[in-house]
Amino acid sequence: MSEVIVFFFAAAIILVGAVGVVVARNPVHSALFLVQTLFGVAIIFLIQDANFLAAVQIMVYAGAIVILFLFVIMLLGVDSAEELDVDPIAGQRPLAVVLGAALLGVGLTVVLVAAKGITGARATAGGEHALDNGLSDVERIGRVLFTEYVFAFEATAALLTIAVIGAVVLTRRAAAADMLPDREPASFELPPLAPAIDEEEEH
Amino acid sequence: MLAALVQAGGSFSRPSVDWHAASPELILLGVGVLITVIDVVWKQRARSLVVGLSSVGLLAALVPVVTLAVDGTPRSMFGGAFVVDDYALIMKAIFLLSAYVVVLMSTNYIAEGDYWENEYYSMLLTSVLGMLLMTSARDLISIFVALELLSIPAYMLATWRKRDLKSNEAGLKYYLMGVFASAIMLYGMSLLYGSAGTTLLTGINKAVSATDKPTAVVTLGVVFVLIGFAFKVSAVPFHTWAPDTYEGAPTPVTAFLSVASKAAGFVGLMNILFVGLIGRSDVYQPLIWILAAASMIVGNTVALRQTNIVRMLAYSSIAHAGYMLAPLAVVSADVVFAGGGSVVVADQALRATVTYLAIYAAANLGAFAVVIAVARKIRTAEIDGYQGLFRYAPGLTVLMTIFLFSLAGIPPLGGWFGKFRVLEALISPGTAWGSTLALLVVVNSVVALYYYGRVAVKMWVEEVPDGDMTPVRVPVSLAAALGLTAVATLAFGVGPGLIGHFTEVSLLAGIGG
Repeated sequence: MSEVIVFFFAAAIILVGAVGVVVARNPVHSALFLVQTLFGVAIIFLIQDANFLAAVQIMVYAGAIVILFLFVIMLLGVDSAEELDVDPIAGQRPLAVVLGAALLGVGLTVVLVAAKGITGARATAGGEHALDNGLSDVERIGRVLFTEYVFAFEATAALLTIAVIGAVVLTRRAAAADMLPDREPASFELPPLAPAIDEEEEH
Repeated sequence: MLAALVQAGGSFSRPSVDWHAASPELILLGVGVLITVIDVVWKQRARSLVVGLSSVGLLAALVPVVTLAVDGTPRSMFGGAFVVDDYALIMKAIFLLSAYVVVLMSTNYIAEGDYWENEYYSMLLTSVLGMLLMTSARDLISIFVALELLSIPAYMLATWRKRDLKSNEAGLKYYLMGVFASAIMLYGMSLLYGSAGTTLLTGINKAVSATDKPTAVVTLGVVFVLIGFAFKVSAVPFHTWAPDTYEGAPTPVTAFLSVASKAAGFVGLMNILFVGLIGRSDVYQPLIWILAAASMIVGNTVALRQTNIVRMLAYSSIAHAGYMLAPLAVVSADVVFAGGGSVVVADQALRATVTYLAIYAAANLGAFAVVIAVARKIRTAEIDGYQGLFRYAPGLTVLMTIFLFSLAGIPPLGGWFGKFRVLEALISPGTAWGSTLALLVVVNSVVALYYYGRVAVKMWVEEVPDGDMTPVRVPVSLAAALGLTAVATLAFGVGPGLIGHFTEVSLLAGIGG
């Protein structure tokens, strides 16, 4: 019973957040509503005993990815609310309503048709891959990560390191004299990342 | 608390690691880390050291490849996810040698431009590390990680001429298209994993060829995975990034992309195709047929109209991707009778593609080395700039002619043997589709001769437009790159048994088929 209560609670959080993302006029508010939705999904994962997924959901999605969104929004201008009166692509909104309704219809059909098949029980078949064999999911992921997939795991470490080095090299400007490549032209200027927004704000 | 966790962990047994089998990768990783550390300590003062170190590292990694080949026993680790067999070893050798030639080509180019040198070589080595992993990867996760490991440094290398807008465009286009293709491929892989319940390719093969196979999901998975690799090997219609990226990237990087990166795409594709999906030839054969035919036709036709030699070589490399894809379009587990004995169609196709890759690598790297050498004097990559090259640089002209005619497939240069193996693999199964594709290969080779020949005519026959007869000065390392590739191109053509001996490989042993 408590599971049902928590489920409806989480579902409410998700849906309010999802509607908020679309309805909010300020993009920062949209991003914050997105955090709320992702947090609700993490609760659903917890009900399903997927502790690891829940933690990753909060750290990676709610933490890192939405923060990245916020960075971009800040760079483009926090106060530039969306102009909702003009439709940039003609017919976009009616089309969105139709497609949204179609998607909802398909989803509901699948759930209703398959309703008999959904029991809520955990899979017990499948040997060590069964969901109900007594090991916690964190322990299980840890095990495969350091046995079957250890080589790919270590290669990922090299991948992330080199990605960071490359990103730094490509974005930095030479600071100290001994780090300069041979002939850095004095006049070289990077174009600004985003158009300046200061003047517009004053109007 | 830690003690409690260790206690709870209970029976964890360390996976056994065959250090000999993994040593090429480990050596390369070690040298890459060393270069990064040296860079942090001595910064740009260590530049000359770093060039030498990366060359030595690449050649040192070749040593265990040779000892493993002499040993000859196939090795397997991590439940079959990492396999070292003859096929993996020959491809590792091709990657290491190509990368060595690229380092030779880069030495002066990178040192004389305003580029970050130490990081350039760590990027290059990491990309090669990804390629080595790809040759041995036999499960979806390893293949994906290897693909990203070889692609991400390549995206950054393409944009290494930071102050040049074309180079920025090259890197950005390559990156965006690459990430998009990776996402599609990952979706396909997740569908294959979903229908098989395992990431191991052997397990996927069992699941997708079972009688009650889940058809729609598998088909969608195969299509998406193929699209991802089609991007990597720049097959039409997923080739649009290639000409712009090749033109804008630093020329040694272009050579690296058009040879090593393309070969790595083929290796990944062949691993998945031969080990994981061979039971579903009904799905992938028509798709690869279309990709191969379209790449040959579009690549060659558009190459006819190019005025820039790098763009011409880019379209020619798209056409070559078509020739190399062609044998894969007839892959199946059937057995045919050819050359006095029976041979499995799949093995024959694999050998054809591997042989073609090796020969194409030598000729294409050589052609780019000549482009770099000539650009040191004429400062342009326009084909018109090659007018009268023979009058002031006869050596380079002869070499360029050798490389271009090898790409065109004219005996006694290497290219003919590659084309011969491709045609043999296409015709011997005796299917109408295979023969049609063989016909397309022949017709396209004739078309290609026109644009390769046009460059040769400009070099040999026409006069120097501005009368500037000062010779081209070729630095030692670039000359070494030219010499190595020229010797390889000639040797493959004169003694095809040489390469034919090394490419007698098979991927089917792993699945017991």
